[in-house]
Amino acid sequence: MRIRRFPTVGTAGAVAVALALTGCSAAGGGVAGQSDPTLDIATMTIPQSLDPVTAIGGALPFFQAAYDSLLKREPDGAYSPMLATSWTWDPGRTELSLTLRDDVRFDDGSAFDAAAVKANLERFKASTGANAKWFSGLQQVEVVDATHVVLHLDAPDPAYPHYLSDAAGLMANPAAFADAEKLKTTPDGTGPYELDSAQTVVGTKWVFRRAEGYWGERLPFDGVTMTVFDNETAIVNGLKTGQVDTAVIQDANQQSSLDGAAGLTSTPIDFDYQGILLFDRAGKLTPELADARVRQALNHAIDRQTMLDQIRRGKGAVTSQVFGTDTAGYQEELDSFYAHDPEKAKRLLAEAGHADGFELKMPRMSSIVTEAIASSLRSDLADVGITLTWVDVDQGDALRRIFSDREFSGFVMNLGQSADDWLVVKDLVLPGTFNLFGYSDDTVRALVPKIQAAAEGEAEDAARDLNRHLVDDAWFVPFYRMSYALVTDGGVTAQPQSGMAVPSLYNYKSVG
Amino acid sequence: MLWFLLRRLAAGVLLLFAISFVSFVLLSVPHLDVARQLVGQAATQDVVDAKNAALGLDQPVLARYADWLGDAVTGDLGRSWFTSENVVTAIGNRLPVTLSLMLGVTLVTAVLAFTLGVWAGVRRGAVDRFVQVLGVLGYALPGFLVTLVIVLVFAVQLRWFPAIGYIPLTTSVPGWSSTVVLPILSLSVASVAGVSQQVRGSVIDVLRQDYVRTLRARGLPPRRVLFRHVLRNASAPALTVLGMQFVGLLGGAVLVEQIFGLPGIGSMTVTYTTRGDTPIIMGLVMTTVVCVVVINLAVDVLIGWLNPKARTS
Repeated sequence: MRIRRFPTVGTAGAVAVALALTGCSAAGGGVAGQSDPTLDIATMTIPQSLDPVTAIGGALPFFQAAYDSLLKREPDGAYSPMLATSWTWDPGRTELSLTLRDDVRFDDGSAFDAAAVKANLERFKASTGANAKWFSGLQQVEVVDATHVVLHLDAPDPAYPHYLSDAAGLMANPAAFADAEKLKTTPDGTGPYELDSAQTVVGTKWVFRRAEGYWGERLPFDGVTMTVFDNETAIVNGLKTGQVDTAVIQDANQQSSLDGAAGLTSTPIDFDYQGILLFDRAGKLTPELADARVRQALNHAIDRQTMLDQIRRGKGAVTSQVFGTDTAGYQEELDSFYAHDPEKAKRLLAEAGHADGFELKMPRMSSIVTEAIASSLRSDLADVGITLTWVDVDQGDALRRIFSDREFSGFVMNLGQSADDWLVVKDLVLPGTFNLFGYSDDTVRALVPKIQAAAEGEAEDAARDLNRHLVDDAWFVPFYRMSYALVTDGGVTAQPQSGMAVPSLYNYKSVG
Repeated sequence: MLWFLLRRLAAGVLLLFAISFVSFVLLSVPHLDVARQLVGQAATQDVVDAKNAALGLDQPVLARYADWLGDAVTGDLGRSWFTSENVVTAIGNRLPVTLSLMLGVTLVTAVLAFTLGVWAGVRRGAVDRFVQVLGVLGYALPGFLVTLVIVLVFAVQLRWFPAIGYIPLTTSVPGWSSTVVLPILSLSVASVAGVSQQVRGSVIDVLRQDYVRTLRARGLPPRRVLFRHVLRNASAPALTVLGMQFVGLLGGAVLVEQIFGLPGIGSMTVTYTTRGDTPIIMGLVMTTVVCVVVINLAVDVLIGWLNPKARTS
């Protein structure tokens, strides 16, 4: 008797399918080729929260929608005014004076002023955010008057304009600091858009609507939707069917699957590079690495071009330097400094007294060191007599063993290339995060202060000298810069952003 | 029946406590360096330590569990470490997506699998072989392959349905159905294949029983014998399998949600578990346990309702 219901249920199912067929055009965002009042961005980066102290580079567009920063970083890396109209260093380069706009207000009507800047910068420094360390040298934020503020540093730090155009420069309403939990999901800034909380599902989809009466440049879209996906297959399908307007595709195979797709445009972004970060240049764990010839041998042993062709389908460019193409220190000829030359590698090893080779142990994080990379490196190094032993570690565990326990002499890493010379020096050269064992030498010690405090032209020369020295002395074993594809549909154009893996929100334009 | 329900519910609550404790302890054992992941590789140890303290990770496991449990019984499951979302809201936002799929697949499976199974079991011969071949094929085809082909054909090539995304039922009914049809289709293939074989087997078993022969001998119309007697007795094992399929769909949904970019709890489980986001994982574990308890209970009640013999046993 009850089973007789089944036909009814079946009919309901058929109705649902019929509704689906008629309604399928209602789904989705922009359609390729048509003007699109909203911008649908797909990403795999989830912002930790919308509280600016947690902002990181890859998630910056989420913050740029709701917040303005003190300085604006242009696509080519130049700095231009935003909430600060001008900025100047003192001769000693430890005081940075900012002049602020006087016509900007937060949503609750309170003025954006020097006190707000002080509150934001001090909060950023005191936070546990990923970039709080940028402000380790910030001694004091002095409020001169409502539109003037001076940042006092304990030592010169030429990367300050970068920080202030990035996470550290995002200005939130100080009135929101009292309820930091709320700020995590409800941004309160002066930015070009406001979060549409009703449409937003935090963790999945963030919907922004144009902020009426925005003081600054009017962006071309009435609304911006940023949707997070956990894999690029879904994003690629969304691009092909016009449900996604733009996305940055990292995986080389996924990039290839978009080749020739109608209505889509790909622009390469060369931000991340891959290579071995050698920490143990003094030979504490692996004594052989103390000899520069051994490190040079490692560089000559690697067949970069084959790796790039096989592993990244040629999408990228081989390199022997860690300075990115947007830095002053970058020199094109250093990209091919270490040719693949196993014989020379063997000779160098023999000269260093290690003709029989040695063992190098490195952690293997499967998310970065794929099977292809692992076997390619092992066989390249084995060809010159170096036994590479991979130690399998899981993602969370790896970071502790590498950075806290200092268990390894180096590791294979994907790192973003900063557009700022001083940031490269701070992150990779000075004792600290990526120079775990605190290694240095006389050349480095002589050049670093020049990059840090010298006048502009001289600092750039020093950056070039430093880069050449690091390559020559084989501090690192970089493989290649990886080209990611910035894909846009016919309704949108986008410009890559210097120093970021994704374009700034300001870099998107509407077509037609 | 009421006593039975209460006993099952009490067992469910006990199970919830036990699993919450075990899960919490397990999540604390392989100490994923969550703070380091949160603040980035480039952060100094001081920043990492501060983050650990901010998350309460410097406290002993039992103290943290007690804290969590104290909040959980009041309905506060905390906030995600990685996205600061309220756990209850986050899961509440995503659960309808997965439930849409699970209910849709169960519905499709119930209709198709019962129809095919009964058809094969009653008619036998060529029909039976045809259904069996379909069943084997449906079960043997890898789920990811079926899903990828379905996306490529119906979404990317034919553009009949969206390839990604989810529209809530409350926003638009046609929109909702357009976003769930392909995922449900993908998941239904294996499900229908499995359950139809079970229904077929049960129907054949019951048809061989003496009482069916007696009923037939008494001249009851075949239709009546089938619907009043055979299906009632054959439905219990089939419903049990259907219930198990429903629970199993929680796992199957992971892949389908990823490929279709659906913000359900399947893809959420993968994303947050690999990061070690304890508050969210605990929330998901609790949700899953509640689902499993409720489904098992529902299946038992349904079987009892259909078949009075099951109630007495």
